[in-house]
Amino acid sequence: MLETEQKPPNNRASRRDFLRGSGLAAATTVLTGRATAAIEEARAQDSEVQVLSGEIPLKLNVNGEEKATVAEPRSTLLDTLRNRLDVTGPKRVCDRASCGACTVIVEGETVYSCTTLAVSCQGKAIETIESFDTGPNGVPYAFHQNDGLMCGYCTPGFVTSCKALLDQNKNPTLEEIQRGLDGNICRCGTYGGVFKAALAAAKTMKGA
Amino acid sequence: MNAFEYAGPTSPELAVKAIGRSGAAFLSGGTDLLNRMKDYVATPSRVVYINDIKPLAGVHASGGAMSIGAATKLAAIVHDKTIEAHLPALHRATAEVGTPQLRHMATIGGNLLQRPRCWYYRNGFGLLGMKDGKSLVRTGDNRYHAIFLTDGDALFVNPSSIAAPLIALGAEATLLGPKGERTIAVEKLYQVPKSAADSELTIAADELLTKVTIPRIRGKNATYEIRQKRAYDWPIVLASAALELDGSKVTSAKIILAGVAPIPWRSEEAEAAIVGKELTTESAEAAGAAAVSKAKPLSMNAYKVTLAKVAVKRALLTIAGKKYWEEA
Ligand SMILES: Cc1cc2nc3c(=O)[nH]c(=O)nc-3n(C[C@H](O)[C@H](O)[C@H](O)COP(=O)(O)OP(=O)(O)OC[C@H]3O[C@@H](n4cnc5c(N)ncnc54)[C@H](O)[C@@H]3O)c2cc1C
Ligand code: FES
Ligand code: FES
Repeated sequence: MLETEQKPPNNRASRRDFLRGSGLAAATTVLTGRATAAIEEARAQDSEVQVLSGEIPLKLNVNGEEKATVAEPRSTLLDTLRNRLDVTGPKRVCDRASCGACTVIVEGETVYSCTTLAVSCQGKAIETIESFDTGPNGVPYAFHQNDGLMCGYCTPGFVTSCKALLDQNKNPTLEEIQRGLDGNICRCGTYGGVFKAALAAAKTMKGA
Repeated sequence: MNAFEYAGPTSPELAVKAIGRSGAAFLSGGTDLLNRMKDYVATPSRVVYINDIKPLAGVHASGGAMSIGAATKLAAIVHDKTIEAHLPALHRATAEVGTPQLRHMATIGGNLLQRPRCWYYRNGFGLLGMKDGKSLVRTGDNRYHAIFLTDGDALFVNPSSIAAPLIALGAEATLLGPKGERTIAVEKLYQVPKSAADSELTIAADELLTKVTIPRIRGKNATYEIRQKRAYDWPIVLASAALELDGSKVTSAKIILAGVAPIPWRSEEAEAAIVGKELTTESAEAAGAAAVSKAKPLSMNAYKVTLAKVAVKRALLTIAGKKYWEEA
């Protein structure tokens, strides 16, 4: 019952028909000579598109350190971090961009590492919870002090989203914290403690 | 997910070249495609990553028109001050998509071309959700399915929050294929599939969406959406309206609904009900009623008829500045 991604052949056929130059179609559609020329040029430089497959060497910049490993193109950033690079802060819960436990920061923005290919992260700065300040001015400490966790499985994701939020907004309101943490889910229901922790962290970070 | 070849071209032209074979798919933010690949609903043998192609990203205003590259992240659209000021219909719809992480990842092109969320489709029963020649949707759990065009076999709803405002705003999509570029109205990206072999998208497998362009907007616009949960979910119903006004009299209207049909749903009934009228609570209410006058809900989703009616009314009243539901 599984489908492939292929879109229906009839679309492609009608497109070809159009390209043969039906006047009616041309009236609703614009062909740009320049784009066509560029494609011809691209075609001539066949080698410019490098196609990767199988186990490939990867270089990832994790928490300021260049790390080398080997993985297939289908390896997610999360699995590569956890299983190949022993960076196990980000957690695998839903594996479907639907919980936030795997949240990491790529080029300054939080993303779900379970739904990001590792191969596409080469050359980008990846930050995980491992790099955060664990002292009394850091976000992890605020979670500890404010009872921001129970089982703890969602916690690295929450701490990461919280840190990214506070990096961009030093003085968030409760509403802004709630919206900023919309992308993380806690099955144990520790939200009250999490929001308190975020407010406390904002306060100490400002004071620091 | 299955193994695949990976290409990371550096230009739109090279991307089109790299896709040029059957079974290949463009990968942008990956928030839709990778999930379908993990569930084996999509099994491309080659993935062409387009999210880092510089010319495909960015918001550009020129001569009153606004062009948005297909690989522009939703977060960048939300942060754009011109879009916030002049295209609130687009701004609102984009700001509410998913979660902060999703808006950092997802792109406008991927949003327009994301595949339906129908759980029968997502579980391998095809777009029409058929088993042994019978519609699982019609006889099964159809609470989130269509309320228009339900005489046909396509009962899923188009999932994009962003298609509706773009269509209301008269936006065009530019597509680059192996033989050149073409520009079509955004609504022409979509079609109602007639058979299980059809797609709900008209774009060919080897065409790259490069940008959407919104023409100069003269009137006012707004989006109102209704959700079950604030985050992590799609709106159940969304209505976008773009009006031209002479004082408070509506001289032209475009009203598009999401979440109600297999394509973004243009409500000509609602448009006809409001054009020529003063924009008031009563005329907005009448337009909402007109919008659902031809709705034919399935066994479990009659509630959506009410939501669609209210969404149209509130989108119009947002334009009128009469957000009575926000007053305490
Ligand atoms: C939990 C959750 C909640 C969500 N909530 C909402 C919501 O409220 N509203 C909403 O609208 N969406 C919602 N989404 C969907 C999300 O917005 C889309 O998945 C996202 O916008 C797709 O963009 P992408 O860049 O990640 O696309 P991808 O997943 O990379 O691609 C999607 C599809 O488009 C094709 N494609 C992408 N770019 C191009 C291009 N330039 N040219 C040709 N083909 C292309 C791909 O081949 C693929 O088939 C939600 C998703 C999740 C996981
Ligand atoms: S594991 Fe990535 S979002 Fe849940
Ligand atoms: S503390 Fe258990 S899931 Fe959040």
